[in-house]
Amino acid sequence: FLFFWKILPSSNHQRSDVEEQSGHREQRASPARLPFGKKQLPPIPKNAAPITKPASTGTPAQSANGTHASYGPFYLEYSLLAEFTLVIKQKLPGIYVQPSYKSALMWFGVIFIRHGLYQDGVFKFTVYIPDNYPDGECPKLVFDIPVFHPLVDPVSGELDVRRAFNKWRRNHNHIWQVLMYARTVFYKINTTEPLNPEAAVLYEKDVQLFKSKVVDSVKLCNSHLFDQPKIDDPYAISFSPWNPAVHEEAKERMFTYKRRPEDHHKGTQVSGLSWVKPGSTQPFSKDDSPPQS
Amino acid sequence: MASMVANGNQDGQSLVLKGVDPETCMIVFKNHWAQVVKILEKHDPLRSSSTLPSLSMINHSAGSSGGPRFGPIPGDEASAVQNYVEHMLFLLIEEGSGQAGAMGPILEFVVMENVMERLFVWSLRREFTDDMKLEQLKMYEMLVGQAHQPLLHHKPILRPLMMLLSSCSGTVAPQVEGELVLLLNQLCCVLAKDPSILELFFHTSEDQGATNFLIFSLLIPFIHREGTVGQQARDALLLIMSLSAENNRVAKHIAENTYFCPVLATGLSGLYSSLPTKLEVPNEEWHCLHKEDWLQMPSLVQFLNSLEFCNAVIQVAHPDIRDQLVSYIYNGFLVPVLAPALHKLTLEEVMTTTAYLDLFLRTVSEPALLQTFLSFILLHRHDSVHILDTLVSRINTPFQLGTVSLALFRTLIGLYCEDVMLQLILRYLIPCNHMMLSQRRVVGERDCYSVSTAKILALTPSCCSPDHSPPPLRQLDSILFSKGAETPSNTSTTEENDSFLEEDDGLGNSCTIGSEIYLDVSYLHYLYDARLSISSCIRACQVWSARYDGEDPPPEKYQPGVLEEPGLKKPPSITQMELEWDDSYDACPVQTDEAPVESKSAQQPPAELPKHIQEMRKTAIMLVKGSYIEENEFQDDVMVYNLVAKKDSRDVERGRLKSNRSESEETQPGSAEVALQNGLNFNSHLQITTTAESGDDLLAQYEELIRTLDTEAVKKPNADLKTPVTPAEEEEEEEDEMDFTSFSAETPEPEKLQSPFGSKFVSGSAGRSHSAPFTGPFVSVLLSRLENMPSNSLHVNLLLTGILAKLAAYPQPLLRSFLLNTNLVFQPTVRSLYQVLAIVKNQIEEQAATRKDFPELITAAQHWLLARETSFVAAGDDAGRMLKSSPPPKLRAISLDRTEVFAAVLFTEFLKELAAIAQEHSILSYIPMED
Repeated sequence: FLFFWKILPSSNHQRSDVEEQSGHREQRASPARLPFGKKQLPPIPKNAAPITKPASTGTPAQSANGTHASYGPFYLEYSLLAEFTLVIKQKLPGIYVQPSYKSALMWFGVIFIRHGLYQDGVFKFTVYIPDNYPDGECPKLVFDIPVFHPLVDPVSGELDVRRAFNKWRRNHNHIWQVLMYARTVFYKINTTEPLNPEAAVLYEKDVQLFKSKVVDSVKLCNSHLFDQPKIDDPYAISFSPWNPAVHEEAKERMFTYKRRPEDHHKGTQVSGLSWVKPGSTQPFSKDDSPPQS
Repeated sequence: MASMVANGNQDGQSLVLKGVDPETCMIVFKNHWAQVVKILEKHDPLRSSSTLPSLSMINHSAGSSGGPRFGPIPGDEASAVQNYVEHMLFLLIEEGSGQAGAMGPILEFVVMENVMERLFVWSLRREFTDDMKLEQLKMYEMLVGQAHQPLLHHKPILRPLMMLLSSCSGTVAPQVEGELVLLLNQLCCVLAKDPSILELFFHTSEDQGATNFLIFSLLIPFIHREGTVGQQARDALLLIMSLSAENNRVAKHIAENTYFCPVLATGLSGLYSSLPTKLEVPNEEWHCLHKEDWLQMPSLVQFLNSLEFCNAVIQVAHPDIRDQLVSYIYNGFLVPVLAPALHKLTLEEVMTTTAYLDLFLRTVSEPALLQTFLSFILLHRHDSVHILDTLVSRINTPFQLGTVSLALFRTLIGLYCEDVMLQLILRYLIPCNHMMLSQRRVVGERDCYSVSTAKILALTPSCCSPDHSPPPLRQLDSILFSKGAETPSNTSTTEENDSFLEEDDGLGNSCTIGSEIYLDVSYLHYLYDARLSISSCIRACQVWSARYDGEDPPPEKYQPGVLEEPGLKKPPSITQMELEWDDSYDACPVQTDEAPVESKSAQQPPAELPKHIQEMRKTAIMLVKGSYIEENEFQDDVMVYNLVAKKDSRDVERGRLKSNRSESEETQPGSAEVALQNGLNFNSHLQITTTAESGDDLLAQYEELIRTLDTEAVKKPNADLKTPVTPAEEEEEEEDEMDFTSFSAETPEPEKLQSPFGSKFVSGSAGRSHSAPFTGPFVSVLLSRLENMPSNSLHVNLLLTGILAKLAAYPQPLLRSFLLNTNLVFQPTVRSLYQVLAIVKNQIEEQAATRKDFPELITAAQHWLLARETSFVAAGDDAGRMLKSSPPPKLRAISLDRTEVFAAVLFTEFLKELAAIAQEHSILSYIPMED
């Protein structure tokens, strides 16, 4: 959740009203969350009471590598969590994502374009990750509103990601790269094999018209910024106009948090010990170690 | 006066006085005093009120003779004085200070007329009995505690007080002691509130010709006292200690002119000597002193009180005092007392000392004091052997010493102390010799796709597969992974296929967002626990000096031997031999028909073995043979015989090993025998080879023997083992060229392009040590005990797995990759946790295959463990390890002696625990910390 707090300072000059509405509710509901950007295993839906399966059901379910199949979802979940921490680590400029509440395979995102042809564009998108990740296809990235761009499908809003990752390879390809790619296409226009031939042709033949179409597209996107999220999900990203009653406190907390980063460690009095002088591999090599004899 | 004090302020006099105007009080006070003076002067040989004899002289002589010198004072006069004084004191107590903090008139009068001093002298005239002292102490206690204005600033009040106090020094009457300490405690409270009085206390002492800080000196004898008196004295001393932190004079005085620190430290030694040298151990499962244990032992309670006091002093006192105390504890307690106690001759005594040491480590919290204990353990040598090495070697000892030693290491590891971890494990990993050269870059790699987790879980023995557990134990089926919160799952739908959810955005972009898959619920608990323990470990280790990631510190940096202090370096062979001595115990019952082992080792003890190790070994051997009876206190015969019996039966199972070994042994000269027996541990044999002084010929035979033993021992498992153990298999096939070139430069994962066997082609690895790769005695002893999981008792296995899980939670990439990265390619001589786990799995599979009732036993053991867990939860203990569930139905009885069954269940849970830790590492260790 904190990850979202970080949006504010960087997007202030654009719209300082990014607020993830349901986030607060969620946080209050589950105060045990650690303040990392880590998403935990989803809470158990209240209405999904434990089901007791008949004891006889099923044959031993062994997956290919010999592990019990019941662990499969854990592997997937943690692979995606690992991807998410990588995204955080990359600190991609102007890009923010958040896995959905319902599925770790669906991430909501928004990208802020700060200069270039698409300057001031704020594009919301959704990343769909195949459920056989990381061994499946490349993840899909679909803009909520089809941006006027050679590589964006004018109907579905899907970005042509596959051209960059024509085969998705575990260990080499990561979701942050897809996000990075999504950002790159707005700064460096590529017109080969376009999904939107009109845009490609205009860019090649009539840049001025292309530019004005882009401006219109940016305007259109931004005019829908306060719309309800396309997908109904508690973690969907939604924007609302700046409202001090709602946002001021959150903003305040963000800045105080930044100033006192040790705060959230209080209460858990775990402290390690070390008398090793940095650069030494000798125990008790620190100078302030009192003499023993 | 006593009655006055006893009635104190409850008799309402103060209320009466409230209404009386100060002038009247003053008049009354003066009148009383005039009456008192009349009596005093009557008995004053000098008949003078203006010239007092030197008080210190009087004090001195009165103190020594204690008798009346001017004839008895009539009783009526004495009681008259007492009555007057009672009233006067009340008036003084009730008087408030004047304007702007000036003295009230009564106090001023008291000071001018030197009332208190004259009264003290008067009491000296009379017989200065304990009762008198008691009365005077109570009088001052009341004055100090209840007066409305500060009194101690005035010398005429302070001086007689100090004289009184010093006259009480060396007193033996318990009543007087109690009152004295109470008054001292009160004075310290006043001092703590108003340090300005401190100077006066010093000056007053000097006036008396004493350089000591009287209050302090008087308290010292009570430091180690038990009961209220001791506690009050220690509290009072602590107040002075915290005073010393801000007052250099006090600190200097205490450090240079008092015996405070030596008394404190040597007191520990004294109290330690009164502890039982042998603990009566309640049962076999016992492995450390819990609170309920030591509360039953008054001498231990007293020791811990003093230790806690030392801890508190170190916490609050001036650094000079702290350093001095710490040094005295090291040189006055740890080295001369604890070190020899750790090397006593019997297993029980050593076991007891180890349990004490563990308790002490858990009691001490102040870093400086912990450091003292830890540097004693890590750096001190007893008989030229590091304490740490000795302790590590004992993990493998039979019986409770091994278990208690394990518990001690659990405590040590739980300290998150870099120095400890460095000496125990990390220093062996820093050079990165334990892995193939090419693998160094893999050290820091994260397991993005839970590959290691899957491989660890894949070791789950088939008999313990979740599918084989009947419903109450099988928790596979009670949670839904489905994320479709809106669509309430139909409980009657058990077909997994039915419950796929499709999310459609209306444009044909759909994604499967999770199917209703049944999960192992207990695994969620393990994940949660893993998360907690890793994140607290990460936090704790932020104070460490290095990351231990294979680059910091650089692998070249650690050159074993170079770091040893010059001149103190010991031949490595000693360590090795000594570490393995206990294996001879393993070997000894085998030689049933040969000469008795003890006589053999007595004939030709290897010269290098330190004496204590030899003694211990003898003891252990005798214990095993059942011939060992120590004094009258040895009550464990039954247990010993049981163990011997168990041992024998196991040895029968190891029939082939036995014959193989004894055959070879017959051909070996005696001196090599120990080494031979020790060499059973594959991991260590290379180490021995490099250091042993025997001829090549012998070595060759020996190695050959080891090889045969080893292959023999793992013969069966080997076939299955090959598959999971070979790490290369997991490596991916050659990948296509990266086509998204713009990212290639930024790709953070460094492992690409590196073949796992790259080291074969890398020549001349500079700076690498030539010694055989070795991950240190601690790791190898842990792993070798783990390897015996099926024959270990349940509690030993709980301890072992607990320790390994704790180690696995450490975030340092070197340690994490060594324990959890199943893809890392190690040097052939290095045993990894994963290999050992695979061996254990195969042992379990083998046993399960040979016993028809194994599944039934497994279920019984699961229920037993579940019930145990439930009882812990009920007792308020931490919930955790094992799954919780409804009370078990009718159970098949299972004896704890079925160690292999319990081991199978525990092993399965341990795999989950490790897998969860590995999985959480892949997330937590990479969360960027806020700068």
